[in-house]
Amino acid sequence: MNKIILSIGLSSLVASMLLANQADDAKIQQLLKDVKALNAMKADLEGNARSGFQLAGYASFDWTGGSGGSDDFSGVKFAPIFHYQYGTIFQFEGELEFEIDEKGETVTALEYAAGTIFLNDYMGLQIGQFMSPIGQFVQNLHPSWINKLPSTPVGFGHDGAAPTSNIGMALRGGLPKIANLRSNYVVFVANAPRFGFAADGDTIIDATGKSSSGGASQLLGARYALNPIGGMEIGISGATGEAFDDTNTSGTSQNIFRTYSAMGADFMYNDQGLDVKAEYIQQKVGDNVSSTLEGGTWTAFYAQVAYQINGLNIEPVLRYSDYENPENRKKQIAVGLNYLFANNLIAKLAYENDTNSNIDDVSRVRAQLAFGF
Amino acid sequence: MKKLLIIATLLSSMSLMANDVQPADTINGVQIWADTCTRCHNLREPAALSKRAWKYSMTHMRVRAGLTGQETRDVLAFILESKTDEDAK
Repeated sequence: MNKIILSIGLSSLVASMLLANQADDAKIQQLLKDVKALNAMKADLEGNARSGFQLAGYASFDWTGGSGGSDDFSGVKFAPIFHYQYGTIFQFEGELEFEIDEKGETVTALEYAAGTIFLNDYMGLQIGQFMSPIGQFVQNLHPSWINKLPSTPVGFGHDGAAPTSNIGMALRGGLPKIANLRSNYVVFVANAPRFGFAADGDTIIDATGKSSSGGASQLLGARYALNPIGGMEIGISGATGEAFDDTNTSGTSQNIFRTYSAMGADFMYNDQGLDVKAEYIQQKVGDNVSSTLEGGTWTAFYAQVAYQINGLNIEPVLRYSDYENPENRKKQIAVGLNYLFANNLIAKLAYENDTNSNIDDVSRVRAQLAFGF
Repeated sequence: MKKLLIIATLLSSMSLMANDVQPADTINGVQIWADTCTRCHNLREPAALSKRAWKYSMTHMRVRAGLTGQETRDVLAFILESKTDEDAK
């Protein structure tokens, strides 16, 4: 009897020890998991900071062939964008553009460099050089991984009808919903543009940001955009002020001042792979009797339709653009086909036909590999 | 100078608008993300950038796309919630 009791006692002891060991193992495993999670959290916290920066940007490589010219690997562009942020109250952003020209030289440009102080949920104060808020293409659609064709619409490049950038200050942001509609705005004051000759002798409105107004009155401008439905935006924009004319031939070095105005209207719509964009831009410079250079109006328009075919990663594009200045009128039809390796890695093939009022028609084929990062 | 005064007046009047910071709304965030981003460019899916890079990118897009602060926080919350371990592959 005693042996039986002893056996039961020993069995119970061994069983309880085994159970205790199992419980200890589970606890140890849980503790190891907790330590691992805490270490990960510690590493994550160590990586946190109130300020930090990010390198973004885009790059593209171009090929062009066509009537009246040789076949060329015609462009290499690298545009790094630097973002620095302090908490939730400030961000600096700057974009450099590096391009190789036909002589093999590197062309650099500071596209924009501006800091924004976020004053509240609806307003940021931006100071520095910023992309022109007149219209949308120059401001938001020019990066090669965003632009759906390898080229810009005629009149929307540098020294065309669309202003490029401004040096000044802007108030901008999204507004509280009005009748359940979203909208956004920009109001800006900036240095005056220059009116005169380009390096090739053409008369231009040089509307790239400058660190001086040349004595002319500064620009006051604004853009307001409304989102009537989710994927749609309709914007209107304008600016007024003076341009300085540095072509004075009277023997004095003083600039001549001219009235200047700009206006734009833009439309964007995207739904289920369909993408529609259209924009009209106008810049106007008045006459001045002190100058032999006549003023005039520079206008540009484009309309573009693209459609991403679901599942095939293929996107056909059609664009019409029209650019008129006092010396010339140019129309362009461009048809393209894009292949999306990824949403930010795109191969483009396009055919363009230009009709000029001064010279014969020109056609070309363009190819481009573009990516954003 | 008059033009700067206009900016200063707007600045002082609108900067008085109080922030009404709400908890981030990921449902609103996904709607803004789908509607607003595609107007200009192809969608960058949450896996495209790291969590930290998304924070800076969304501030950049707040300026570029004219988002309110709350809309920016909503989109960022949706993106961060959508990220998975598979994003690293």
